[in-house]
Amino acid sequence: MTAPGPSGAPVAPLPLRRTALSRLVGGLAGVDRLALAGAVLLGLIVLAALLAPWIAPYPDDGGSATHPLEALLPPSGAHWFGTDQVGRDVLSRVLYGARTSLVIAVAVLALSGIVGVVLGVVAGYAGGWERDVIMRVTDVFLAFPALLLSLALAVVLQPSVTTVIVAIAVTWWPWYARLTASVAASVSTRGFVDSACCLGVPAPLIVFRHVLPNSLTPVLVQLSLDGGGVILTAAALSYLGLGAHEPTAEWGLMVQQGQSLFTTDWWVVTFPGLAILVTAFAFNVLGEGLRARLAR
Amino acid sequence: MRWHKRLLAAGAVTAVALTAAACAGGKVRGAEGSPQPGTSSAGTTDATFVYVPNLDVVTDWDPASSYSNEIIAMQNVYESLTRYNPQTKKAEPRLATSWTSSPDGKTWTFTLRSGAKFHTGKPVDAAAAKASIERTMKIGQGAAYIWGAVDKIEAKDPTTLVFTLKYPTALDLVASAGYASYVYDTSATSDDLKKWFGEGHDAGSGPYTIDTWQKGQETELTLKAFDGYWGGWDGAHYKKIAYRVTPELTTAWQLLQRGEVSFVERLNPQLYAQASGTPSVQTSQTPSFQNLLTLFNTANGPLKDVRLRQAVQKAIDYDGLVAALKGAGVPASGLVPEGLLGFTPGQTPKQDLAGAEALLKEAGYGPGGKQLDLSLTYAQGDADQEVLVTLLSSALDKLNVKLSAKPLQWTTQWDQGKAKDPAKRQDIFVMYWYPDYADAYSWFVNVIHSADPVSFNLSYLKDDAIDKEIDSLPELTATDKAAAEKAYADLQTKIIGEKAAVAVPYVQNYQRAYAKSVQGYADNPAYPNVVFAYDLKPGA
Repeated sequence: MTAPGPSGAPVAPLPLRRTALSRLVGGLAGVDRLALAGAVLLGLIVLAALLAPWIAPYPDDGGSATHPLEALLPPSGAHWFGTDQVGRDVLSRVLYGARTSLVIAVAVLALSGIVGVVLGVVAGYAGGWERDVIMRVTDVFLAFPALLLSLALAVVLQPSVTTVIVAIAVTWWPWYARLTASVAASVSTRGFVDSACCLGVPAPLIVFRHVLPNSLTPVLVQLSLDGGGVILTAAALSYLGLGAHEPTAEWGLMVQQGQSLFTTDWWVVTFPGLAILVTAFAFNVLGEGLRARLAR
Repeated sequence: MRWHKRLLAAGAVTAVALTAAACAGGKVRGAEGSPQPGTSSAGTTDATFVYVPNLDVVTDWDPASSYSNEIIAMQNVYESLTRYNPQTKKAEPRLATSWTSSPDGKTWTFTLRSGAKFHTGKPVDAAAAKASIERTMKIGQGAAYIWGAVDKIEAKDPTTLVFTLKYPTALDLVASAGYASYVYDTSATSDDLKKWFGEGHDAGSGPYTIDTWQKGQETELTLKAFDGYWGGWDGAHYKKIAYRVTPELTTAWQLLQRGEVSFVERLNPQLYAQASGTPSVQTSQTPSFQNLLTLFNTANGPLKDVRLRQAVQKAIDYDGLVAALKGAGVPASGLVPEGLLGFTPGQTPKQDLAGAEALLKEAGYGPGGKQLDLSLTYAQGDADQEVLVTLLSSALDKLNVKLSAKPLQWTTQWDQGKAKDPAKRQDIFVMYWYPDYADAYSWFVNVIHSADPVSFNLSYLKDDAIDKEIDSLPELTATDKAAAEKAYADLQTKIIGEKAAVAVPYVQNYQRAYAKSVQGYADNPAYPNVVFAYDLKPGA
C-alpha cells in the first residue's frame, strides 16, 4: 500500500499506517459514511422483517392472536414494548409491521419505477408528439396533490395492503417519468446514440441498450430517497383507515389505534411511531449518501 | 347512535380546534372568570356546580326540537310531567303530582302541581302543558315521535290534564322522556318563539334559568337559581351551574384533581382507574341504558345466510371485550339492558369458535373452504368500538373470514347503511343505541321493526310475525306487564337466536368522577349524562 505523503518528505511507518487508515475512514466519512449508515440501518430493518417469526417474542401476536385479559400492560421483561388494547405484544407487532411496510415500499417503488422509467425514456428519446402526450399525462397526475389522489383511490377501492400499493404507485410514477425523460433527452443527443442510429440499430434497441442505462442514475437516487416517503404515505393511509386493516400488523394503523391512549399508555403509539421514523430516516440517509456519491 | 349525537362526537374535533383558537387569542385557560367551586365556596349558599362536558353543550335551545348534548342543561332548566326513577323503575312526580289511566290504557289523567311558575312569571297550568306538548308534536322534530300515541289533549281545569290516546301506551313513562317531554311557556314572546329560544332565552319551570351563554367559550353556559322555583331553596343547594367544555379528557381530569371543577362527564378507563385511587375525588360507575349493537345484513350479501350470521355472532369474544374495556362495559344479556322491562337475564353470549367454524363449514366456508369476505362499518374515533373490531377481525381471520372494517363519520356510515342500492350496503353495522325514555320498545320499533325507506332498521329484517309482535308491545306494557315481559323475551329469542339479526357485545358503563364536596349524586341512566344539580348538596 502506498501513501502519498507530502511530496519529498520521508514517511515514517507509523504515520503511514495512520494515514492509510484515516484515508480509509476518511473516505467513508466524507462520502459514504452516510450511505453506509443508511444501508446498515435498512439492512437491520430488512433482517428484522425477514426474521420476525423467529425473533418476535410472541409470533402469534403479529397475526390474529388476541389476549384481552393482558390489555395495555406497560413495558416489562415479558413485553419489552408493552401490550396494546387487546393484549398483543407491541414489539412482535412492530417487527411484523416491518414486513408490511417494506413490502409496500418495495412494491410501490418497483411498480412506479418501472412504469415511470419506461415511459420517461421513450418520451425522452422519441421527442415530438410522443413526448408531448406522455408528458401531458404526467402533468395531469402531478396536478393533484399526491396524498389527495391516493386518498381518493383508497376510498374507491376496498381498504387493503394491495390497495395502498396501487394507490401510492399511481401517484408516484409521474415523478420518475419526468425525471427520466429529461435525462434521456440529453443522453439521446450524445454521440454514441447518434452512432448507433447511423449503424442502423433499431430504435427500441437504442432506447433500452444505450439510452436507458445511461439515464438511470438520478432515478436510482430518487427511488432510494423516496422509500421513506412511500412508507410515510402508506402509514398515513392506514392511519386514516384506508390501508391495511386488522389483524394485519402495520405501523400506521398501530399509531392510529394508539393515539387516544397517548397520555396514559404511551407505549402503544410510541414504538410503531419510532419504527416509522427510523425506517424513513434510513431510506433518506441512504438516498442522500447515494446522491452525494454519484454526483462526484 | 342517533345522528345528532354522533354528529356531536364528530364535532369534538371542531371543539378542540375552537379551544385552540381561543387559546391562541391570548386567553389563559381557566382565567376567564369561570366560577371556581373549590372547597372555599363549598357549603356556602352561593356554591357553584362546575360540570365538565367534553363536547359543546348547546346546539338547539328549543325545548320542542332539542335532541342533543344540551340535555345536560335543559333538564335543569325545564321540567316534564314525570321523572323516571331507576331504583323503583317507575315514573315519579315532577310537574304532575299524580296520574291515573283508564283500564284500557287509552285515557290518561294527570294532576298538575299547583304553585309552579315558569321563569317568565306565568303559572304552570294544564293549558300551558297542553300548549307546549301540542307545539312539540306539531314541530315534529327530535324525539317528538314519543307522543305518537296521543290523539288529543284537554285541559279540564288548571290542574287537570287529560290525554286521549289512539292506542294504549304507558304515557307516564313517555312523559318522563329525556327529550321532547318538556313543559314550557309557549307565550313567552310575541315574536317567533324558536328564534327567541335560539338567542339563549328559556321558558322553563325548573330550578335553574339561563344566566350567560357564550357559544365557543370554554365556560359556554352558566345557569343561576330561579328564586320562584316551586321546590324552594331552603337547605343547602347549588345556586349556580357552570358548564366548562373540555374536549381533552386528560385536561378534564387535571382540573378535577386541582379542585377547579365539580364533575367530569367522561373519562377513559385508564384515567378512571387513576381517579378511583385518588382520595380527593369520588367516582361512580353505573350501567347505562346504552348498548352496542352489531347489526347483520339479513337481506343482502353473504350474511343473508343465517348460518353465517350465527357464525359471526359466535366469533365475537364477548368476555375478552369486556375485559379489554376495563370497566367501560358490562356483559349484555339480550337486546334490552338491565333495569328496563324486557331485560332477559341469563342470556349472556359466549365466544364459540368451534361452533362458528362448524357453521361456516356447513355453508362451504371456513378453514379449508372458500374465503368469506365481509364488510363492517363503525364510528370513526370511537376507541371502544375499535377494540370490538380488532377482536372480531382477529377471531374471524382464524376462520378464513376476511373482515374489512371501515371507520366512518356517522352521516357517511348511516347513508351507506340506507343506500338505495342494497349492494352498496355493509354486511355488519356497528352502532350504539339507547332509548329516549326508559322503555325497551325503542330497540324493537326503531332498530328491528321493518321500515321502508330504511331508517335505523339496519339489519333490514322483514318479518311480518316479528313486526306484529313488536306492534303489540306498547299496549301490553300499558295493560299487562307480565305479558309484555313474555313478549319481549320471546322477541329476543327470535331476533338474536333464530334470526341472528343482531349481536349485543356489551352494555356501556357510565364512569364519572366528581369532587369529594359533592353530596347526593346518583346517575340516572334514563337521562344520559344529566346531573340534577338541585338534588345535590354542596358539602365541605
